[in-house]
Amino acid sequence: MNFSFLPKYYQFFISGTGYTLFISALTVVFGLMGGLVLALMKTSKNKVLKSFAVAYIEFIRGTPLLIQLYIVYYGISDLPMLAAGVIAMSINSAAYIAEIIRAGIGAVDKGQMEAARSLGMPVFLTYKEIIIPQAMKNILPALGNEFIVLIKESAIVSVIGIHDLMYNTDTVRGNTFIAFEPLVIAALIYFVLTFTLSKLLGKVERRMRVSD
Amino acid sequence: MIEIKNLGKSFGKLEVLKNVSHTIKQGEVVVIIGPSGSGKSTLLRCLNMLEQPTSGQIIFEGDCLTDPAIDIDVHRQKIGMVFQQFNLFPHKSVIDNITLAPLKLKRLPKMVAMEKGEALLKSVGLMDKRDAYPNQLSGGQKQRIAIARALAMEPDVMLFDEPTSALDPEMVGEVLDIMKNLAKNGMTMVIVTHEMGFAREVADRVLFMDEGQIVEIGTPEELFGNPKEVRTQSFLSKVL
Repeated sequence: MNFSFLPKYYQFFISGTGYTLFISALTVVFGLMGGLVLALMKTSKNKVLKSFAVAYIEFIRGTPLLIQLYIVYYGISDLPMLAAGVIAMSINSAAYIAEIIRAGIGAVDKGQMEAARSLGMPVFLTYKEIIIPQAMKNILPALGNEFIVLIKESAIVSVIGIHDLMYNTDTVRGNTFIAFEPLVIAALIYFVLTFTLSKLLGKVERRMRVSD
Repeated sequence: MIEIKNLGKSFGKLEVLKNVSHTIKQGEVVVIIGPSGSGKSTLLRCLNMLEQPTSGQIIFEGDCLTDPAIDIDVHRQKIGMVFQQFNLFPHKSVIDNITLAPLKLKRLPKMVAMEKGEALLKSVGLMDKRDAYPNQLSGGQKQRIAIARALAMEPDVMLFDEPTSALDPEMVGEVLDIMKNLAKNGMTMVIVTHEMGFAREVADRVLFMDEGQIVEIGTPEELFGNPKEVRTQSFLSKVL
């Protein structure tokens, strides 16, 4: 194996990792917000909201992320590619997160909603104080999984030219004519990111379990 | 205080309540008995609109709860409810279960809410469980906390939906004692229960329901001692 390119090109991997983390972090934030809204829409009694959420989730989950990325990038003119990447990833992950949250909320005992409402608590307050905190325990493991998937899937934004870890790895391969070894480095970096995240989430989960 | 007017409720094709009317006055203790599936729990759950009636009206303190434009949350604050399955909030401590609604809905200062909560805990004899979590309590203790939680909103009426049905026999007494105390202190109560002895002791009026209708109404002496309807007689002969 020939890693002689590293001293000259290591900065490509570092800055690429930076972009990958940046895009993933923003996607987590927007995906969570979008997912929460969609989950509440899907569980609401309003038929219009409900049908929209159902259609959105089914469509996004039923089409490739690559196409969604192209549609956002080429469909909206003058959109900076970084924004296109984050938007497409967020649109995509919101659909998956919505299903995770909905399932988590659905697993909370129906009596909890009834008890809170019978005390006079409005719907929103009931979700905030009673339903969501309990649903979090069901949601967190699946959500952690989704975040890990998201870091890996973010490699796809390299196709529209964002200088993420995948893109920069290809740059190094092109410049050095070394086809294999840069991929090993990239794979190792992705693994360190996802492994660290999964250990961190495991810790959070254990702490939540202690508190009940 | 509560007026039930021609109430009907259907789940799909199944008619659970048929044209039920009744009036409950302040300070009265009304016990609803009847075989399972007779609609007694559904009737109770219609009183605070946990079930949406299909037809008819509920008038509570002059306001029509079945009016779709009404802010039901405001009225529910005045109607306490206790469930068969307790439904305590498992992620909150006992004192937080009790003070949550007063803090968030009545916006009581924390000190005041805590003091009131502790007074309620004392009245149900569970001050030592103040900081415990629901999963550390026995069934009877859970239900006593659930009663305290409902009382914390200082409701005008309390609804009890088979409050002792999920309890081990030796814990039924402690919950009934608290309910008796409430009745003695003048609380308006509507109780669905299978505890006939309790009904006899505290009820001002007993309603016997069957197949979605109120079949017979009477004082405990009348209904238990000398039931007039055949269906009441046959039901009582099975449970007494």
